Amino acid sequence: MLQDTHPTISTHPPPKGLAWPRPAGLSRRWLRRLSPLATLLVILAGWHVITARELYPAFIIPPPAAVAQAFAAAVSDGSLLAHTRVTLGEMLGGLFIGVSAGLLVGYAIARLPLLEDLLAPIIVAFQSTPIVAYAPLLIIWFGSGHTAKIVTCAVIVFFPTLMNTIVGVRTVPAALRELMRSLQATPLQVFVKLEVPAALPVLLTGLKTSATLSVIGAVVGEFVSAGDGLGYLVTSSRYEYNTPMVYVAVLTMTALALALYSLVSLLEWRLLAWQRHSHARQS
Amino acid sequence: MLRIVRCLAGFALLLLTSVSLAQDALTPYRFLLTFIPNIQFAPLYAAIADGHYAALGLDVQIEYLNEPDVIDLVAAEQADFGMVSGEQVILAAARGRPVVYVYEWFQQYPVGVVFDAAADITTPADLAGQRVGIPGRFGASYSGFTALLLAAGMAEDAVQLEEIGFNAPEVFCLGAVDAAVVYINNEPLQIRHLAQAGQCGDVQDVRVLTVASDTPLVSNGLVTHQALIERDPDFVGAAIAAYDAGLKSVIHNPARAYLLSAAFVDTLPLTDALQAVLTEQATAQEAFLATGPDREAIAASRADLLAALRAQFTPAELIQMEVLLASIDLWDADRPGFSDGNGWENMQNTLLAMGLLAEKVNLDRVYSNAFVPATAD
Repeated sequence: MLQDTHPTISTHPPPKGLAWPRPAGLSRRWLRRLSPLATLLVILAGWHVITARELYPAFIIPPPAAVAQAFAAAVSDGSLLAHTRVTLGEMLGGLFIGVSAGLLVGYAIARLPLLEDLLAPIIVAFQSTPIVAYAPLLIIWFGSGHTAKIVTCAVIVFFPTLMNTIVGVRTVPAALRELMRSLQATPLQVFVKLEVPAALPVLLTGLKTSATLSVIGAVVGEFVSAGDGLGYLVTSSRYEYNTPMVYVAVLTMTALALALYSLVSLLEWRLLAWQRHSHARQS
Repeated sequence: MLRIVRCLAGFALLLLTSVSLAQDALTPYRFLLTFIPNIQFAPLYAAIADGHYAALGLDVQIEYLNEPDVIDLVAAEQADFGMVSGEQVILAAARGRPVVYVYEWFQQYPVGVVFDAAADITTPADLAGQRVGIPGRFGASYSGFTALLLAAGMAEDAVQLEEIGFNAPEVFCLGAVDAAVVYINNEPLQIRHLAQAGQCGDVQDVRVLTVASDTPLVSNGLVTHQALIERDPDFVGAAIAAYDAGLKSVIHNPARAYLLSAAFVDTLPLTDALQAVLTEQATAQEAFLATGPDREAIAASRADLLAALRAQFTPAELIQMEVLLASIDLWDADRPGFSDGNGWENMQNTLLAMGLLAEKVNLDRVYSNAFVPATAD
């Protein structure tokens, strides 16, 4: 196929001082872009083969067509959108609270080592306990509404944000801090002009992790007790033995996580444009 | 002399080898339950401890799962038997799971609504407008509560239904709900215990509205795979008889059942003093049973046991024994294991009214009394 598209590409090395022709590079880029789609197609084909050959009963692994049918039904009656909206709301609420708290506490810890000594044992102990262990307690403390799910979500996204904030702020080169000091920069100027840009790559990496974890937080809360949301859709569909709908809910959660991850990646691409330009200039 | 010693040593070796071989000969056998290790599963624990399954060559390995997982594993023939609530079997059958309910464990539907004894509630209609906690809008609690409302001519939105997970005692005692849908043999006792200890707000005591008093519904029981019934009905009958023997032994001698269950439930309260008294009571009950008492007399002996224990032990020490005795009241019947067709019909109608079932299923394929032992003993 590549030869059909680019029949004139020579296999001989180019004359000294000249680069290889560009079209081959472009194709590779397209191949890289299409590779996730190829993976998806392979998974779908494998799934189809498993169900067509009845390697497992349909109530364990339903055929892709049955899942598509359930998806269409849930979309047309509006139930999937309603449940997705609930989970997304809890995720965004939890992300906002968890990330804000992580940034604030993380920055404070990064700048005040004494605070780290004081808070580290509590934070590590809290983080090392699986969320499913204390999610029922959050339901008792915060009630059966959406607050408990938002708090569950906030708790789970707090730690990666906190750690990345600490690492990000502490990796600011000492020489640059010296430079800012010699320029008599105010603390606010140091924060805005130095610490934020320098820590941003690490912070955004933490935000990407938090974005995907927020799905887990919301859904764990919904598993414990809920009357709506994708976690509830999984539970209720399980109790109605509607396996295709369980798949629909799980795939929707995956799509939500991917969408949030992509959104943060896009944000990263935009916010770190200066870094790419700087690298390009250096090279 | 040396010859005698060698003979004795050889005999001992032979004995040890035969015991070891007998244990090795047992086939590992998955038995699926729901919830967590709990005194409510005493019938199975007793059946295992008394060797009823070992007699069939089975080394029972209990797994605790959610009800849909139990159904699906049995339907996929990954396990022969599981314990689930009746409405789950109807729903599973409607979605093509080839499972059959073969033994009704709870003779009365164990779901009810618990509330402050001082509250002005005497009928389900009095729950109108109240905040009612429920584990979730699924499973036996939801079906049972809906049946209770339907019997009273009420719709779900007549109450403020709140999903609280399996946290009814804590949420109720915090005052976050006015009433809670619970298993009547367990949570009301836990809440009453908290109330008596002054840890349940203003609540001094609780009362319960039971679903069973309004509408007979099929309850928890044993399910197996349709193919197993067709392939080996004798084995199905024998395995059910093993469970039946365990259930009857618990009904007849709860003190003994409690002691046997301690090996299966790590958290079961059992002080040395309680163990000593229960051992004594269990022995006395065996002697009483040897006189051939009838069902009523045995029920009276259970009440006597509770009274005797209450005179000697604290509520905290007895809470699980009380759960067991309350459960036995829901299990005891002239013919344990037998399920009534009306209970199935009522449950199916409830599921239809809830919209969980699109159309009626053939109930003859969903349950069978063919393997239930014919008499009480």
